[in-house]
Amino acid sequence: MPEKRIVLKNCGVIDPKNIATYLAADGLKAWQKARQMAPEKVIEEVKAAGLRGRGGAGFPCGLKWELARKSPGDEKYVICNADEGEIGTFKDRYILENDPFTLIEGIAIAAYAVGAKQAFIYLRAEYHHLLDLLTSAVSQSHEQGLEVNIEIREGAGAYVCGEESALMESIEGGRGEARYKPPFPPNRGLWQKPTIINNVETLMNIPRIILNGAGWFSQTGTEKSKGTKVFSVSGDVARPGVYELILGSPLRELVIDLAGAEKVKMVQIGGATGRIVPYTMIDTPLSFETILGAGSIIVYDESRDTIDIVYRTLEFLAEESCGKCSPCREGTEAMAEILARFDRGEGREKDIKVLEELARAMSISALCGLGQAAPTPVTDSLQYFREDYAKRIKQGGKVRC
Amino acid sequence: MDEIRVTIDGKQLSGHPGMTILELARENGIDIPTLCYRPELSLLGACRICVVEVEGSRTLVGSCHTPITPGMVIHTHSPKVLETRKVIVELLLASHCGACFMCDKANICELRQVAAELEVGLPRFEIKKRYYPIEDVSPYIERNLSKCVLCRRCVRACRQIAKRDLFAVAYRGFDAKVVVDSDRALDKEACRDCDICISFCPTGALSKPRKLSEEKKGKPLVITS
Ligand SMILES: Cc1cc2nc3c(=O)[nH]c(=O)nc-3n(C[C@H](O)[C@H](O)[C@H](O)COP(=O)(O)O)c2cc1C
Ligand code: SF4
Ligand code: SF4
Ligand code: FES
Repeated sequence: MPEKRIVLKNCGVIDPKNIATYLAADGLKAWQKARQMAPEKVIEEVKAAGLRGRGGAGFPCGLKWELARKSPGDEKYVICNADEGEIGTFKDRYILENDPFTLIEGIAIAAYAVGAKQAFIYLRAEYHHLLDLLTSAVSQSHEQGLEVNIEIREGAGAYVCGEESALMESIEGGRGEARYKPPFPPNRGLWQKPTIINNVETLMNIPRIILNGAGWFSQTGTEKSKGTKVFSVSGDVARPGVYELILGSPLRELVIDLAGAEKVKMVQIGGATGRIVPYTMIDTPLSFETILGAGSIIVYDESRDTIDIVYRTLEFLAEESCGKCSPCREGTEAMAEILARFDRGEGREKDIKVLEELARAMSISALCGLGQAAPTPVTDSLQYFREDYAKRIKQGGKVRC
Repeated sequence: MDEIRVTIDGKQLSGHPGMTILELARENGIDIPTLCYRPELSLLGACRICVVEVEGSRTLVGSCHTPITPGMVIHTHSPKVLETRKVIVELLLASHCGACFMCDKANICELRQVAAELEVGLPRFEIKKRYYPIEDVSPYIERNLSKCVLCRRCVRACRQIAKRDLFAVAYRGFDAKVVVDSDRALDKEACRDCDICISFCPTGALSKPRKLSEEKKGKPLVITS
């Protein structure tokens, strides 16, 4: 299946500093159309399109909006999650740099649909250089008559603040930590008011759906994964970068045909908490039914060392754990320490059993997605590259392939 | 109000809307261990010791903060639940560097109680110890954060009951720590002598200072607490 530009349609085409170029490319037409529709009808359209969240979890977007719409209360919020903290993702940055207007239009439509007067864009701290561009795009859009007030909030550099409840704590001025759920944001989110929170790319799809119709959108993709996905490809590839593919396209097409990888050993899909798959699974289709995540694709070739990769990933997660709940705070630290031993060639047979036991407990008891998914690189590598662990027990030293 | 019917450990029970799994279980004599939960304080969901299995849920759920919903089927002591609780307690013990036999609170320590109930022995996980020097500047509270399990009961009790708000959490991951201001030792200026946080601490991390100076001067040691 070929590359298809739905989300990235305007990237490189319009001038992100000048709304006139956006208006010339059908800009704000979807917003105008949406306002002729009842809010419920807008939500119906998004539901019928089958759009699912692009931030990692794949929750049905229309359903989330409907829950927030139906939640009682006058004060509601829309949040655009532009925290993009996942290792190896830079697709949201590419979008913000090249087409902030479509995003703002998506936010305006979302606010109209759920009945919110206030919206926030939560911008990753490291994207500070985009603040001026975004602020200008927001004020140019407001001049076109958008009713919703959009405020940009900058993060402070915490991975966990991409997690929706931690993000809301952060906007409220608290410590960036996850909250227990339920209640879920559409019922009680920001300042305990009904809130929808969506990834940048999810909101980018909204104007396309409203303008072209749910039927047009749901023609592409697989049964449960409609539309396209924007991927950030990095690692051992000849052509790293941002690619948009129809959902269901095989991993091979992205990694080998487009990005030009050779001698692939494994691919980490979805970042630090994502899946690790061996080369033998290169024909796996990329979809919510199989493997997807937020679109981070890191390719490792045969010169790479499994333990090295997994150890560094767990070190990152231990560092980024917010420290609120015990299984994640203590468990990521314990895993990182064990992996450090394997890295030094001092692994022990019983450590593998301990890793597996920790993984089981953390994945079902941690408070938020970080701690629940933190063991994934460990369990996946133990499943597909167990011999690399074994080598560090017997021989010591680095594994050479 | 409508009643909500659920099944806990095979028993048909009913509770009122808004009730948590823990509240309903305890009301009916089903014991679920807890550490960070206290009925007088706001809910937190941090320690995860109270997790239970709810049929149809991908993960275990924290019983102290999860409200009952109609038809829920809950298992509070399934093998999966017990195994998970054990790992969590083991993790907490593994990084705990207090020497229990020298601890004032040894016999009333809730961490030890939970460990005993779950039959957790010496932890199998090797992990670095949480070590902080003892803070004994304040005449009212001695803080030995090496024994802290980060349940934040002191943080919430000071804020919600003593209405002082002296404590906060700083740093993240394994380094997370309950601090005063920007992490300075608790002193006389900051705190009044109310003891509320001490009474809420489940471990020996917070205690009344002993008057060791008097002992040195040859007076008999009187433990007043
Ligand atoms: C540790 C962690 C980090 C996350 N980081 C991000 C992020 O950087 N950007 C994002 O859009 N979603 C992130 N998410 C997912 C959000 O919690 C949330 O599901 C998402 O923003 C919902 O939007 P969507 O439905 O449009 O995907 C993260 C989740 C976890 C558990
Ligand atoms: S799982 Fe980790 S990041 Fe999430 S609340 Fe627990 S300690 Fe914080
Ligand atoms: S000092 Fe005591 S009450 Fe406070 S967080 Fe630590 S263990 Fe809990
Ligand atoms: S008692 Fe429920 S999470 Fe601590």
